[in-house]
Amino acid sequence: MENKLRRYEKIEFLGEGQFATVYKARDVETDTFVAVKKIKIGTRQEADDGINRTALREIKLLQELHHKNLIGLLDVFGHMSNVSLVFDFMDTDLEVIIKDNTIILTTGNIKAYILQTLQGLEYLHLNWILHRDLKPNNLLVNAAGVLKIGDFGLAKLYGSPNRINTHQVVTRWYRAPELLYGAKQYGTCIDMWAVGCILAELLLRVPLFPGESDLDQLTKIFSVFGNPTEETWPGVKQLSDYIEFKPLPCIPLKNIFTAAGNDLLDLIESMLVLNPIKRREASECLQLPFFSNKPAPTLGSKLPLPKNVRTIRDIEKPSLKRKILDAAEGGTLSKRLLF
Amino acid sequence: MSGNFWQSSHHQQWLLDKQDLIRERQHDLSILAEDEYQKIFIFFASVIQTLGEQLKLRQQVIATATVYFKRFYARNSLKTIDPLLLAPTCIFLASKVEEFGVISNSRLITTCQNVIKNKFSYAYTQEFPYRTNHILECEFYLLENLDCCLIVYQPYRPLLQLVQDLGHEEQLLTLAWRIVNDSLRTDVCLLYPPYQIAIGCLQIACVILQKDHKSWFAELNVDIEKIQEIARYIINLFELWKTYDEKKEIQGLLAKMPKPKAAPQR
Repeated sequence: MENKLRRYEKIEFLGEGQFATVYKARDVETDTFVAVKKIKIGTRQEADDGINRTALREIKLLQELHHKNLIGLLDVFGHMSNVSLVFDFMDTDLEVIIKDNTIILTTGNIKAYILQTLQGLEYLHLNWILHRDLKPNNLLVNAAGVLKIGDFGLAKLYGSPNRINTHQVVTRWYRAPELLYGAKQYGTCIDMWAVGCILAELLLRVPLFPGESDLDQLTKIFSVFGNPTEETWPGVKQLSDYIEFKPLPCIPLKNIFTAAGNDLLDLIESMLVLNPIKRREASECLQLPFFSNKPAPTLGSKLPLPKNVRTIRDIEKPSLKRKILDAAEGGTLSKRLLF
Repeated sequence: MSGNFWQSSHHQQWLLDKQDLIRERQHDLSILAEDEYQKIFIFFASVIQTLGEQLKLRQQVIATATVYFKRFYARNSLKTIDPLLLAPTCIFLASKVEEFGVISNSRLITTCQNVIKNKFSYAYTQEFPYRTNHILECEFYLLENLDCCLIVYQPYRPLLQLVQDLGHEEQLLTLAWRIVNDSLRTDVCLLYPPYQIAIGCLQIACVILQKDHKSWFAELNVDIEKIQEIARYIINLFELWKTYDEKKEIQGLLAKMPKPKAAPQR
């Protein structure tokens, strides 16, 4: 524990979520940047529960998974219920990129991001793991333009057909219609729906279905695809939270994504299908013409990134000099903060 | 357990070499004879099994906890942590990893107290000495010593598939399943992949039930030598059980076992 605190020098606060606080740190042993996720200890009861279950889920799955498009778990340290996970450092994420108006996302750029997302997801699904929380904010991007799927706190092994799962997964805007209808047995198709929504958001630069409640979410989805019937989605009426909507017409996707080519529309239509079993798998999507047609996916180094990502790198260069100076003055103990 | 065994941490990091195992145990084996060492692990496998049953856990969770326990001591002397503390800690961690129901720490402690008092009084005359904070402290230490490798593959699923292929025989499956449970009292889970253990256990079950499936076994594309080694470990366990009276011997063995320096504080 002591060694680990010395190994990772805290640089700055990156963000705070419900379960954890994330810091950027320098790994002194390898002289690389890492992200340290310190799990919060809430109530006394949570402390008595030992190592946080969400953290444990990330540890157990990421320890088994190794793919260039999945976040790498580098280390774990802590004491009793106080746990910190060390990850690859990622400079930004798709949410920041989408919201940054100075960034132009060409078809080649979008192709590069979605290609990497689907490759990571294909590997995940081949390993019988559902991510269950895909959203732009969890698709992390580094300065080299490599996208990695992050946050495995909701991920789960699947494959037991009779196992009951909770439908309260996935951030609402990216949640598949079967989950909104209360399905408790589901598969990879819930992740595919989320990728479809993310692809749409890369094109539109705003969320496709920004529902304000679960009901509003369904309304927004059906106002594009029309409401499902037993013909278009057999079994939909048996879902526990099924509600009948008044008939809504379908809007052709071409009218929503006016700038998208037919091959891109085909990809969107493969993922955004109301009936979950009609949705295509990641492997199938990767075979679609969109990925082999021109333009080619933009090379990582050429992908546009938010301005501060590149400037951060420039600012950090002199810090090595500072380190040497500090060392000459006899130690940097005061800068070594406890995580 | 789903996932890909061949790329798993179980296959890549946790199939140990027999020589390494002997080397790591050198310290403990300078105090205990080899059979005494094994008897201590047989005892604690029973403690884990009984605790798991009392907590109504699935066999999968119990087996995972037992493998954690054995992996920990494959790298550490018995004196690093009292096995009576590590056993419930393994149950605690395994139940969270396998995501089958929540067991609260306080229920775990109560169950330990009852089980030690009612089922293992022949081994422990005093009450269970540990509390929640001991388990919590031990849990992280366990996680570190497992190198954060938490997913364990068990022989149960391959066994089901093999028996199905043989033309499902209920009696054979039941016996082979019990032999897999018994195999947790040997080192095979540290040395061989679960599918080989399943085949080894199935072979023993066939011999016991006098079922002739020689041609079926011959067609399996496996290293028969490894299967024989696994069978040997398990048969040796059965041989040991014939003459071993745990109720008589275990107190002496636990007294002789290397121990941590500081006793737990009540």
